[in-house]
Formats: sequence, structure tokens, C-alpha cells
Amino acid sequence: MRLAAGLSLLALLVAAPIAVATPTGTLPPAPPEIPAPLSFTAVDRPGDSGDAILLTWQDPPGLPADAMIEIRRAQPPADEWAEVAEVKPGVGRHVDTTARDGNVYRYEIRVRSAATADSSGIAGAVGPPVVSDPAASHDNWFRFERTNSLIAVVLFIGIILGSIGVARSGKNIFIRKIAGLNALDEAIGRATEIGKKVMYIPGSASMDDIQSVASIAILGNVARATARYGADLDVPNKDPLTFASAREAVRAAYLAEGRPDLFREEMVNYVTYDQFAFTAAVSARMIRERPAAIFLIGYFFAESLILAETGQSVGAIQIAGQADPTQLPFFVATCDYTLIGEELYAASAYLTREPVLLGSVRGQDIAKAILIVLGILGIVAASFGVHGVADLFRTQ
Amino acid sequence: MAGFFERIVHLDRRWIFLLVLVSVATPIVIPIGLPVTTTGPTRAAFEFIEALHEGDVVLISFDYGPSSAPENDPMAEAVMRQCALKKLRFVVCALYALGGLGLANNVVAKIEGEFPNLRDGVDYVNLGYKDGAAAVMRHMGEDIAGAFPTDVHGKPTSEIPLMKGVHDLRQVKLVFTAATGLIGEWWITQVHPQVGIPVIIGPTAVSAPKYYAYLNSGQLVGMLGGMKGAAEYESLLRARYPELAKFYTTTRAFTATKGMDGQTVLHTVILLLLLLGNVAYFRQRRASAKARA
Amino acid sequence: MNLEFGRVTLVILFAIVPIVGFFLGLRAPALRSRIPIFVGVFAGLIPILSMYVPKKFIAGPTGMSPRLDQWLIILAGFALLLGIVNVLQNNMRKISRREKGWPFSVVLLIGLFVTGGFGVYGGISGQGIGIAADGTPTPFQYVTNWFFQPLQSTIFSLLAFFMASAAFRAFRARNTEATILLVAAALIMMGRVPLLELLAVPIPSLQPAAASASQGLGKLTEWIMKTPNGAAQAGIIIGAALGAASMALRVILGIERGYLGLGKGE
Repeated sequence: MRLAAGLSLLALLVAAPIAVATPTGTLPPAPPEIPAPLSFTAVDRPGDSGDAILLTWQDPPGLPADAMIEIRRAQPPADEWAEVAEVKPGVGRHVDTTARDGNVYRYEIRVRSAATADSSGIAGAVGPPVVSDPAASHDNWFRFERTNSLIAVVLFIGIILGSIGVARSGKNIFIRKIAGLNALDEAIGRATEIGKKVMYIPGSASMDDIQSVASIAILGNVARATARYGADLDVPNKDPLTFASAREAVRAAYLAEGRPDLFREEMVNYVTYDQFAFTAAVSARMIRERPAAIFLIGYFFAESLILAETGQSVGAIQIAGQADPTQLPFFVATCDYTLIGEELYAASAYLTREPVLLGSVRGQDIAKAILIVLGILGIVAASFGVHGVADLFRTQ
Repeated sequence: MAGFFERIVHLDRRWIFLLVLVSVATPIVIPIGLPVTTTGPTRAAFEFIEALHEGDVVLISFDYGPSSAPENDPMAEAVMRQCALKKLRFVVCALYALGGLGLANNVVAKIEGEFPNLRDGVDYVNLGYKDGAAAVMRHMGEDIAGAFPTDVHGKPTSEIPLMKGVHDLRQVKLVFTAATGLIGEWWITQVHPQVGIPVIIGPTAVSAPKYYAYLNSGQLVGMLGGMKGAAEYESLLRARYPELAKFYTTTRAFTATKGMDGQTVLHTVILLLLLLGNVAYFRQRRASAKARA
Repeated sequence: MNLEFGRVTLVILFAIVPIVGFFLGLRAPALRSRIPIFVGVFAGLIPILSMYVPKKFIAGPTGMSPRLDQWLIILAGFALLLGIVNVLQNNMRKISRREKGWPFSVVLLIGLFVTGGFGVYGGISGQGIGIAADGTPTPFQYVTNWFFQPLQSTIFSLLAFFMASAAFRAFRARNTEATILLVAAALIMMGRVPLLELLAVPIPSLQPAAASASQGLGKLTEWIMKTPNGAAQAGIIIGAALGAASMALRVILGIERGYLGLGKGE
């Protein structure tokens, strides 16, 4: 009797916690397992200047909705893991730009879920870590993702040099008429006849823009013409570097024409760096001094129409030129002649007729023809559902 | 009658200037409230942002100055309001040297006033201005904190809660650039190929035609072209979020929608002038031909 | 002293060689004209190299290419000084000779010194040139807000007037191309704004028809902007890019010398 009562009491003592814990009588559920990321690698990021390690992984299936991928780093032989980053799933890669060349690192990656409780019931469970092989960063000799760009550049240089070689051999290079450049002498001659000045505005950009370089090259030719004809030249500038280059170009041009006596320092002058203050000053100058010929050649922004329309209102013959298409419609509407797009860059070859320069223009046209053919091939390929052709030309 | 057309052909431009002044000023004083129809590029931009999820990060770059503020400010405000409503986190920066930072500060202050629940450093951050535009963009493609070590208040970027987990532009879902000039184009030609981030541009109306080439090639996901684009975006925003109507109906605040009234009247006047000018031109040509015959 | 390879190379190429060349050029003028070409060759080659060769000494944060970018910014700052000296010289000469419009030169110089002075004061006092710590604008910010910005907006707004007068003068159907330009411009101007709805304001019953016609015009406008315009823009951009590349190559190879004021054979 006592034994039976004792056994019953024992059974009760054992069963009670189970009964309390599982009212339904089943085992308590284990905490949900958080999976580990897959295929984790840490390598030196290719094609860079060093100090960066590329980490890639695959997100495992069954991630909790609020999962974040935690990345930590240690520098052997030390075993202290420091947090590097926390990334949302779906990214699959991270670049550690705090790595330094010459150091070896190990990386650890794991999934953290703020809402999931761990085995002790505390929220913020983490999954099992995956540790990478040791990795070290270093700078590389070549960016392989730009191989297609390099091939294109080498081909382009080859075509240009080949065309220059052909031009040097004495072959006659044809270049079509460019009305704006043909009118240059006419405009300066007209200014000389009526005794008014020639105004040349070399754009708003600095000398790091190739349009400004092209503009100064054309200015050299215009200055030679004004020196030859004895016309007055005025070159207001917005950018200080362009101002410095313009002054030297004009001084050299007058010297080359044997008319250094006609050159005055105030011919080439600096106005101001602010776009609209420059526009106001030059417009006012146009209205006061009424130049007979105005050249607007270079990179212009919103001030283009104000300058061109003011020039038109004073009755000047206007020749404009810009490679960027944005302001071209305003020049076309207000100026007598406009150099469109690459006509600006061909101007120095056109005006000097130097075989070497003409050869480079021919080479540029050959490159354009090749691009047109490739473009047509790409259109045909895309029309037949072959989309890889466009990818050949993608570059980073 | 012949005399009238003769005068039209040689019309003093100052009469045209006067007509322009009256056309633009009158609807400001007497608003008409004309409807605004939307176009594909603006709708594409709007729907792209609508498709983003709560907590996604958007970069808003102020790449314009005071001269184009009437066109670009409404765009930046509209996008920021949409981000605030959709609970998208936005990072603000300015890359335009002359006045970009001041405009960014003004717009952020305006949005802070309209959405007082927004927390600086958590829901948004203003990284301020950095010189170098293209170089800064490339640097942001690698390391935003490296390009902008502190925010506009001087707080280290690495300590800002929003920027944890946003190391470079790869963690940003979209760049919106309100731009004048070249800087907006650099986001498309330099940053988009570098990191593959989608770009929406809000250029001035004068620059907008150029960007259709980028839209067609897929380098842009949307565009707000000039004040018209901004007005379209405002109308899309009001239709989707009626609670925003109050920001667009106060009489004192300038909005792109209000500006469209003036632009509509001006376009009408210019078209009438073009018609008159051409009629006068053809009459003159016919009269000259008759006189020669 | 930090003797990184990149930094040393840049100093040699862009400082020592030009200075030595300048002094040698005093005896041999032909040599002097070669120095800018020499500088141009390397100034062009280094950024191109950095596009493909990411080695630290070329393309790293303290490499030759980014350092060259920084030197250009510093150079532009000194060139700005040159520009300011030129402004001072020209305007002082105008005032001293009492040339036509000399009072405006006085106004310009006052503006230059006052604004510059406020900027320098902001730097020296630590207030800066923006908003001061107490939230009030600094003197420089005051000039920016109340002079610079309104003046900028005023000049920019001239565009609206000039666009109207340019359109009136230029959009005449003189020939086929001009007629196409006129028709396209008219369609775009009508399609971009609710013009038909404006014309129908006095006649409310016509509003639905106006709205529907406006939508059709809008679609036509969008097609014009996307298709013919988009194609033309892409063509110009690509052509100009090739031209720019060719011009840049000519400058780097020293073939193009017009921007230095050198002519044929020089």
C-alpha cells in the first residue's frame, strides 16, 4: 500500500512538470533552426587598387523574414572577432574596404534574426557561423571588367595612327565643306571693313573639358586672321584657366603673323566665374560696343540663348559651335552658322589643312563607320532575340 | 491690312517681351487651375519609387543652383514627400558648387516641418556638400562615409544609425538627381555603369531632350523634365496620397502646378505669334513675287 | 618626407622638367614650346592608364591620377587669382583714364572688395560664410541671399523673353527644313501644356473634348521626344564623343597644338 502510494507520488512528481509544460501532453518545440549561409568565399577583390576584400555567399533557403547577414572579421593569430557589416539577404556580396594590404584576415558570416528566440528563449538568435579561408588584399595590374573598353581604345588608336600614316604619305584627304568655318574669314573681313571689333567667347567650361581645348585652338586661327586684317579682337572669359590659355594663344598668334604691335593685354580679359554675372557683363558689352562678328565656340550652358540673342539684336554675324547637343537648338535658331557636334573638333584640321590633323579626322570617321555597322548588327541580333551583342559593349 | 502684316514681320522685340511678361504674370495673380496630364517618363519614375519597400534607402542629390530652383525645387520636394510617406529612408547630398547646399538645407527643413515624426539620422540624413562631383560619385560607389566623413551637422557618418548597413551605393536602391548642367549626366554615365544603381533624373526643361537617349537605352528608369515634369509628379502624388493636397493648395507657396498656368498661357501666346508671323511672312513673300512679276 | 613613387614621379614630370625646360628654353626657344606638349602628354596618359591599371601608385586614393585631379583644383585656384588681378587691372585703368562707363567700374570694385572682405572676415572670425552658430546669416550669406541669388534669378529669367523673341524670328517656314522645325515645335508646345483646356475655359461644354484631344497631343509629343528626338540626340552624343576622343588623342600625342597658339610646323 505504502509502496503503491509512493510510486503514485513518484509518477505524479514526474508527470506534473510535463503536464504543466505541455498541456496537450506533447514534447516542447525546439527553437527554430536558423540556417547557415552557403558557398562563402573571401578573396582579394579583383581589378582594384587594393585595401578591399570581396566576400560572396549564397543565402540559404528558409531564412526568417527579419534575417540579417552578420559579417565579422578576425586577424590571425588573434581570435577576436570584430563586426564588419550587417547586410540584408538578397545581396549576396559585400566588399570590406576597411581591409589593409599586407594583412591576412579571416571572415565569419552568420544569420541573425531579431525576432527569433534562441534555445534559452532570448530574442536575437544567430545561426551557425561559416568561416572563410585566410584572405589578403593587394592591388592588381589590370581591371579585367574593362577589357572590352581597352580593346576598343587600342583599335581606335590604331585606326587614327594608321590614317595619320596614310595622310603623311601624301594622299589627298577629303573633308566636306563646313559652312561655319568657311564663313570665318568673311566674318572677320566684314568686321574690318566696318571698323568694328570681333568678339570671341570661348565657352563657360574650364580647360579640362576638351571643348574648351578645341575652342582655344580655333581662337588661335581667329586671332591670326584678326592680326592679318588688323581687326580689333575682344575675348571675354568666364574660366580663369581658359583665360590664361586664351591669352597665350592670342599672343602667340599675333607673334606668328608678325603683328606683335597690334596685340594688347586687354584683348583677352577675365570677367567673372559666375555664369549669369558673366552673361550680363558680356551682353552689356555687346550692346555698348556692337561688335560686327561674334564667335560663340565652346561649352555653353543656359547663358547660350541670352548671349546669342543679344548678339543677334546688335546685328552681328554670329558663328557658334558646341559638341554637347543641349544648347545647339538655340544656336541654330539665333546664329548665322553653327558647328554641330564633332564639327567643332574637326575645325583645327579644317582650318589649317595639316595632313596629320586631316588624317585623324578621317580615322575618326572610319571608327564611326565601324560603330554604325556594329549598331546595325546589334539591332538585327536583338530583333532575332539574340541579346548578348549589347552585353559585349557593356563596361564598368 | 497690308501695313499691319508688314509691322508684324518687323515687330519690335520689346512688344514680344511685354506680351511674355503679361502672359506669365497674369496667371500668378489670377490662378486658372488647369489640369496637368502625365507622361511616360514621369509615371515610370513615380511607379519605380512606389514599388520600393519600407526601409529602402534612396539617395537624393541636389545638383542645381538658385537659378533653376523654380524648376528643380518642386521635384526634390515631391520626391522627398513621397519617401517620407512610404517610409523610405533618404540620404541627401549636394554636389553643385554654387548654392546647392543652401537649397538642399532649405528643402530638408521644409520636409522636416511637414513631417515632424521624421528623425534625423534614422529616417534621413543630410550629408552636405562635397567638391569634386564626378570623383565624389565614384568614391560613393566604393565608400559613402569615405566621400562624406561627416553629415552637415558635423556628426561622423560612421556613427549615424541610418548609415549602418549603407556602406556604399550598392546598398542604395535608387539615386534621384535634381540637376542642371553636367552633374546629373555623370550619375548616368559614371555611377550607373560602376555599381548598376537605378537613376532617376530631374533636369531642367532645356536639358530634358538629351536624356531621352538615356531613357531609351535603359540607363535611366525615369525622368521629370523641367517644371512640367515636376507638375506631373505633383499631380501623381496628390492622386495617390490625397493628404498631400494641402501642400499644393496654399496660395503663398510656389509649386510647379501653379507655374504650369503661366507656362500654358505663354505657350498659347507664342503659338499665336508664330501663326501671325508666318501669315505675315507668306503675304510679304507673295506681294514681293507679284511685284517682281 | 613622404617619397611615394607616384608623388615623386608627378613632381618630376610636372614641376622639375617644366622648370628646367623653361630655363633651358631661354637659350633654345624651340625647346620652350615643347614643354607644354610634354606636360600635356603625361597629363593625358596618366588618367587613361588609371582607367585600366588599378595599381595603387596610379589609381589608388593617393595615386598619380587622383593627385593630378587635386593639383588641377589647386591650379584653378591660382588661375582665379590671375583672373582677379586682370579684373583689377582693367577696371583701375578704366577709372584712371575716365573711359566711358568708368563709374560702373567703381561699383564693380566696391562689390568685389566688400564681398571678398566679408568672405575673408568669415574665415578669420570662424563664423564661416553660411549661417552662424546662433542661426543668423553671416554678412557673406546676407550678400548671397539678398544680392547674388535675386540677380542670378533675374538674368536667368531673361531666357523666357529671349526664347519668345528667338522663336518668333526663327520659326518661319522659309524652306522644307524650317517648316518641319516649325511644325515639330508647334506640336511640342501644344502637347506639353494643357493648351486646349485653356482655350476651352470660356466654353465649359467643350472641356471633355479638349481634354481628350490634349491627351492625344500629349502622346504624339511623347513619341516625337522619344523616337526622332531620342535618336538624333543619341547620334549627336556618340559622334561628339568620338570627336572628343580623337581630339584628346591628338592633344596627348602632341599632334594638336592650336590650343597652345602654335601653328603649322611649330
